Amino acid sequence: MVFTDNPFIPATDFLPPSYLQAYIVLMVLAVVAGTVFDLHRKRSAEFFARQQQRSRVAAVRQLSGAEMAAIAARTLANEVATSGEFCNRSRRVSHLLMSYGFVLYLVTTLVLVFGYPADPHTPAVLPVLWNVGILMVLVGGYWFFFFLRVNVAHDGHSPWRLVRADLFIVALLASVTFALIFEVVTVAQNTLANRVFFGLYILFSTLLFGSVAWSKFAHMFYKPAVALQRRLEEANGSSDLPASATAGEGRCPPSPT
Amino acid sequence: MPTFTYMTRCDGCGQCVDICPSDIMHIDPVYRRSYNIEPNFCWECYSCVKACPQHAIDVRGYADFAPLGHSVRVLREEAANTISWKIRYRDGRVKAFTFPIRTTPWGSIKPPSAYEAPGADAMDSPLLAHEPAALMVATLPSLPPFDPKRG
Repeated sequence: MVFTDNPFIPATDFLPPSYLQAYIVLMVLAVVAGTVFDLHRKRSAEFFARQQQRSRVAAVRQLSGAEMAAIAARTLANEVATSGEFCNRSRRVSHLLMSYGFVLYLVTTLVLVFGYPADPHTPAVLPVLWNVGILMVLVGGYWFFFFLRVNVAHDGHSPWRLVRADLFIVALLASVTFALIFEVVTVAQNTLANRVFFGLYILFSTLLFGSVAWSKFAHMFYKPAVALQRRLEEANGSSDLPASATAGEGRCPPSPT
Repeated sequence: MPTFTYMTRCDGCGQCVDICPSDIMHIDPVYRRSYNIEPNFCWECYSCVKACPQHAIDVRGYADFAPLGHSVRVLREEAANTISWKIRYRDGRVKAFTFPIRTTPWGSIKPPSAYEAPGADAMDSPLLAHEPAALMVATLPSLPPFDPKRG
């Protein structure tokens, strides 16, 4: 039954499970290589190291290990786990849907492909979670794509005007959309349709993971680093910003959405 | 002294695009972060610097006026009704100032859109828009009519 069966089983009719496993390993390597290349090309690591050095020199007081751990925990809870950086509520909800949906989809894909490669008795909870992850990405992603993208909402551009900044969101949405279409199409048991939509799914997944160095995929690695650095600077007194009168609570202006 | 955006801090919210009176803060097509498309046309109003919730926008001082190594940062906190400035000099001295954003309650000032649109006869009036009501006076003082006999 669709949505409760392992969505990768129909693909084994024309692709051995080991090929799919090898493909996932390749994509993991592509993400690692793309991120390292991106760090090297933009000299991000050098930038963060310089910022840290500047912060240490300008620090009014030294932070203890416990204080730094508490700041790291707050960054993890606020900026990473709940996208607290966003002041716009709609963008925050959309981002949370996409990020948690994507993690759910990735984890269940890994379990399905490596744990149940050709097993028709896959526990139904795994395909259900895989579909829930995809739906979360689709809802958050299309909401962002059509209504929340800043150049569409604030610069007045058409949602169909694509620029390089859209590489990540377009590849992500196309990848999960074709994953869902492939899953639905397999019900008809048409071999050609299965191959076409699985091919499109793989094509856009490759674009998503292979374009890390040119898309904003790497933001999930450097954004937490920036948030942590900002909190450390506020705590050790090296920040150029005036001290907050509201302990950070008044940072966000009133949001119309 | 035109503005610039720290790309690592900007989250592409678009507040600066909306508020810039010169319409020169736009969104970069490669990184989807804000940037100043025409620094020469920046009139240094600091609107985007104050509006940015991520404090990702700063002002680049001219070298002869604000030598390298200084910083002038502002923090606008509407909830606390304060606007604070922190000035760090090249020699390490730091000065901080905090002012109220406004001295009357939020919403107590009638916005321009709440006034009636002026008629065509307002073109001949010496009064400016919304005068004298906006000045909270009944009438404005004016010179007596010119009398040629009195000179």
